[in-house]
Amino acid sequence: MSSTSQKHKDFVAEPMGEKPVMALAGIGEVLGKRLEDKGFDKAYVVLGQFLVLKKDEELFRDWLKDTCSANVKQQGDCYGCLKEWCDAFL
Amino acid sequence: MASTQLTDEELFSELKRFGFTPGPVTENTRPVYLKKLKKLREEQQQRGSRAGKTRNSGAIHSSSGGGNTAGSRPASHDVTHLSSSRRPGRKSSVLGFSSDESDAETPLKRKGLNQSRRADRSPGFPQHPMIRPTTPSVATKSQYGATLNSNNSSPGPGRQRGVLLGWGVRARSSPEAEGRDYDESGDDDDNEGEKEKNSRSLNGCGASHLNTSKLAGDYSDSDEEEVGGPGVGDQQRERLEPNVRRSHTKAEFAYHVVGRGSQTGGAARQVNPPEGLNMVGNRREEGEGGEGKRRDSDTPGGLRSHTVSPRKTIYVSLAENHGGETGKNNHVDGEDGAYRSSRFAIGLRPRFSNYSSLSQTYRSNHSNHTAPNHSYSQAMLKQKLSVPEDELLQQFKREEVASSGSFSAHYLSMFLLTAACLFFLLLGLMYLRMRGSGSSEVDEVIKSHPFGSQFDELYNKTEKDLILKLLLNLHDHLAQVAGQYDCGDQQHLNRSLSMAEAATYLRAQNQEFDGFIETSLEWIIRTGQDVGIRLTGQVADDPLTDVSEISRLESSHPKMPFTCRFRRAFLTVISRVSLIAVVVGCVWSVVCYMRYRWRREEEETRQMYDMVERIIDVLRSHSDSCQENQDLQPYLPIPHVRDSLVQPQDRKKMKKIWERAEKFLAANESRIRKETQRIGGADFLVWRWIQPSLSCDKTMNSKVWQGKAFPLDRRNSPPNSLTPCLKIRNMFDPIMEVGENWDLAIHEAILEKCNDNDGIVHIAVDKNSREGCVYVKCLSAEHSGRAFKALHGSWFDGKLVTVKYLRLDRYHQRFPQAQGCSTPLKASSLHLNTTGTMNTMPRLHHRGAANSSGFS
Repeated sequence: MSSTSQKHKDFVAEPMGEKPVMALAGIGEVLGKRLEDKGFDKAYVVLGQFLVLKKDEELFRDWLKDTCSANVKQQGDCYGCLKEWCDAFL
Repeated sequence: MASTQLTDEELFSELKRFGFTPGPVTENTRPVYLKKLKKLREEQQQRGSRAGKTRNSGAIHSSSGGGNTAGSRPASHDVTHLSSSRRPGRKSSVLGFSSDESDAETPLKRKGLNQSRRADRSPGFPQHPMIRPTTPSVATKSQYGATLNSNNSSPGPGRQRGVLLGWGVRARSSPEAEGRDYDESGDDDDNEGEKEKNSRSLNGCGASHLNTSKLAGDYSDSDEEEVGGPGVGDQQRERLEPNVRRSHTKAEFAYHVVGRGSQTGGAARQVNPPEGLNMVGNRREEGEGGEGKRRDSDTPGGLRSHTVSPRKTIYVSLAENHGGETGKNNHVDGEDGAYRSSRFAIGLRPRFSNYSSLSQTYRSNHSNHTAPNHSYSQAMLKQKLSVPEDELLQQFKREEVASSGSFSAHYLSMFLLTAACLFFLLLGLMYLRMRGSGSSEVDEVIKSHPFGSQFDELYNKTEKDLILKLLLNLHDHLAQVAGQYDCGDQQHLNRSLSMAEAATYLRAQNQEFDGFIETSLEWIIRTGQDVGIRLTGQVADDPLTDVSEISRLESSHPKMPFTCRFRRAFLTVISRVSLIAVVVGCVWSVVCYMRYRWRREEEETRQMYDMVERIIDVLRSHSDSCQENQDLQPYLPIPHVRDSLVQPQDRKKMKKIWERAEKFLAANESRIRKETQRIGGADFLVWRWIQPSLSCDKTMNSKVWQGKAFPLDRRNSPPNSLTPCLKIRNMFDPIMEVGENWDLAIHEAILEKCNDNDGIVHIAVDKNSREGCVYVKCLSAEHSGRAFKALHGSWFDGKLVTVKYLRLDRYHQRFPQAQGCSTPLKASSLHLNTTGTMNTMPRLHHRGAANSSGFS
C-alpha cells in the first residue's frame, strides 16, 4: 500500500486500549457489526486472533474473509493496520 | 469429509508435515487451517502427479477426504508403480492407443503380449485402471470391441479371449494411463463432475446411469475410508481393491460383451464413439439380444474368479451384483438410481465415475435405456478418449442437448404467457365489438317487438313488418347519428334528431313508412322499455305521453365505428389510470416528504445533543484549568464558546442547532449557569460551570513516597556505602512537571524520606535530565549509606527510584557550591522557607501541613 488512510494512521498512532473493532482500518460499520456478533467486539480481540495466527498475512486474510466476508482491500487494510501497530507497540 | 474428523492435534501435525508451522488450532483458526491444509495437499498432489511421486500423498489421502483430489492421488501412486513395472515398450502402443480411438488394429497385435504378461500383470493390474479411470475404461471398451469383432466365436473361447483381451486391454490402457499426464486428473474430476451432473439430470430417462453408479458406489464404499466400506481387506490392499474391482468391472463388461454374440457388432461400433447414436441403436439391439444371455454373465464372473483367486470374493460379489441387476430392467433402474445417489453422496472419485460410465454403457445393453443415455455414454466415451479440450467441448454439447429440454420448457412457458395475453386482448376487443353491436340485440328486440301481444292483434303482418322495419331504420339512423356525433364528427350538430328530420329521413327510406311513423312512435312510448330510441319532448325530462309532444329522437345505443369505440375506450382507460396514478403519486410524495422531514429532525436533534455535550466538555475543562490557573475567569462568553466549537464555514448551518443547544442547556443543565458579565467593557452572556471539580486525578500526581519495591539486601545494593554523594534517578519527568517550584518539592520529598538522617547537606535537582536525576551530598559515607537504604527501590510518584554512589570529586566538579555545604538540611525548614512561594500549589499546602504535623 502506497498510502494509508486516516483511520490507519489514527489507529497506529497510539495503544489501542479499549477501541472498538470498528476503529481498525478496513473495518467499517457492516464488518464491525459482523465481527461483534461473532464475539470480536474490541480491537484487541481481533489483535489476539491476529497474534494467534502468528501474524501470518494469508491466514489472517482467510480468517477475516471467513468471519466477516471482508473483501480483498478490506483484508489488506486491516492486516496492514494490525501489523504496523504490532511493530510499533509489541 | 475426513478433514472434519481431524482433531486439532491431527490438523496441527498434518500442517507441520508440510513444513508449515501453524499457530494454535482453536475454534476460530480451525477453518483457516483446514483450508490451508487442503491447499497444501493440492499443491503437493500436483507436484507429485507431475513427477510421479511416492506414496506420501497416499497417506495424506487416506487421512483426508479431499474427494476428487484425494481420489486422484492414489492414482499417482499407482502410476508410479505401473511405470516402474511396465514402462518399457509400452509407450508407443499406449500413445497410439490413447489418441486414436478408431485404432482397432493395435489391440489385436497386443493380444499375444497380453497373454504372456497376464500373470505379471495381475498383481499390478488393479493399479492400472486406477490411474486413468476414464481413459483406460474407454480404451478398454474400444479394445474389447475391436477384439470381440475379430473374435466372434463361441462364447467359451470368446470368453477366454475376452478375459485375455480384457487383461490385455487393461494393460494397454494402463500404460496409456501412464502416458497421459496426470494433470488431466483435475480435468477429469471436473469432467466427471459435469458428466455426473448431466447424467443426474437425465436420471428420469437414464436408469442405466444409476446402474453404473451402483457398482461404482460399491467400489467406492470399500475404497474410500470415509465411507467405511465393507471390509475388503487390510489397509494395504485398500488402494488395490478398488483397482481390482475396477478391473473386475471392466472384465465383467468385457465378458458381457463377449457373452453376447450379437453384441459384437455393437462392440465394433463402440470402437468409434463418434458415431454416437448409431451405436445407441446398436447397443439397444445388443441389449435385447443379450437379454437371454444375461445369465452367462455370471459364469464369466465365475471364470474370472478362477483366474484371480485372491480377488475371488470380489469377483463373486461382482457377479452377484450383475446377477441381481440382470433381473429386471425396472429393478436395475431402481438400483441404478440408488447407486447413483449413493455414489454422489459419497464424494465422487474420478475412477468411479469412469467405471460408472463404463458399466453404464454396458448396462445399457441390459436395460431399456433411452437414446439420450446412449448418446451420453457415447459422449462420455468420446470424452475419455479425446484430449481435455475435446472433453470439454463434448460436455458442452451434451449440456446443450440436456438444456434443449429445458429450453423447450422455457419456451413453453413463454408461449403460454403470450397466449394468455393474446386471449385477454381478444376478449377485450370482442367486448368492445359487442358493445358496438349491441344494437343488433335491440334490433332483435324490436323484431320480436316489445310491444306486447296487443301489437300483434292490432295490425296485420305487413303492417307489423312495416312498423318494425320503420322502427329499425329509425333506430339505426339515430344510432348512426349519435355515433357520429359522439365520435366528434361535426356532421350533425345535435345528437338527436328532431321529429321533422326523423320523418323526412324515414320517408326517404320508404314511402310506406310515412303513415306509420306516429304509430310506431306511439308504440315506443307505450312500451316503456328501452328499445334504443329515446324520445324527448319540448321540455326535457318530462315523461312523454303523446306523440305530438315528441320533439327530438335520440338513440340510446349509439353505433360507433370500431376505431372510434376503441379510441374512446382507450382514452377512458388511460384517463382513469392516469388519475389513479396521480393520486397515488401525490400520496406517496407526501409520505416521502414526511419521512424526510422526520429524518431531518432526528438528525438535527442528534447534532444538538452532540453540541450540548461539547459545550459541557468545554466548560468543564475550562473550569478545571481555572482552578489551576487563577488568572482565568471561571466563565466563558457564549459566543466565544460557539466560535470555538463550530467551524466558520459551518456557523450558518449550525445556527439553528446552536440555538437549540443553548435552550436545552438553559432548561436541562444544572451545572451551567447563564449570567451576564462585563468583559472588556462589553456585556456578554456567559456560561459558568458551577460544579466543583472532583479533581480525583490530582491525587495521583501528588509527589509522595509510595513504599518500597524490593527489600534491600546484599544482592541489590552495595555492601557498604562508598562515597558521601548519591545520584538518585527516576524521581521525576521533566516534561510532565508543571509549576514553578517543583524541584523544591523534590527537595522536600527527599528530606522527608530521610528525615531521620541529619546528614544531607546539599540537594541538586537536574531539571533538564530525562532520567529525573537528583544529586545528593551527605556529610559522610555513613549518612549516604543510610540515605541510600531509605531511597533506593522506593516508589515515588509512581516511579521506581534508583540510587547510585557518586565520586566526591565529580560531585564537586558538578556542583562547586556543594563543597562549602556542611549544615544538614531539614525538611520542615525547607518547607517553611518555601511556604510563601508555593501558595499556588494546593497539594503542597496539604503536604506541607501533613509534613509539619508529621515532622513536629
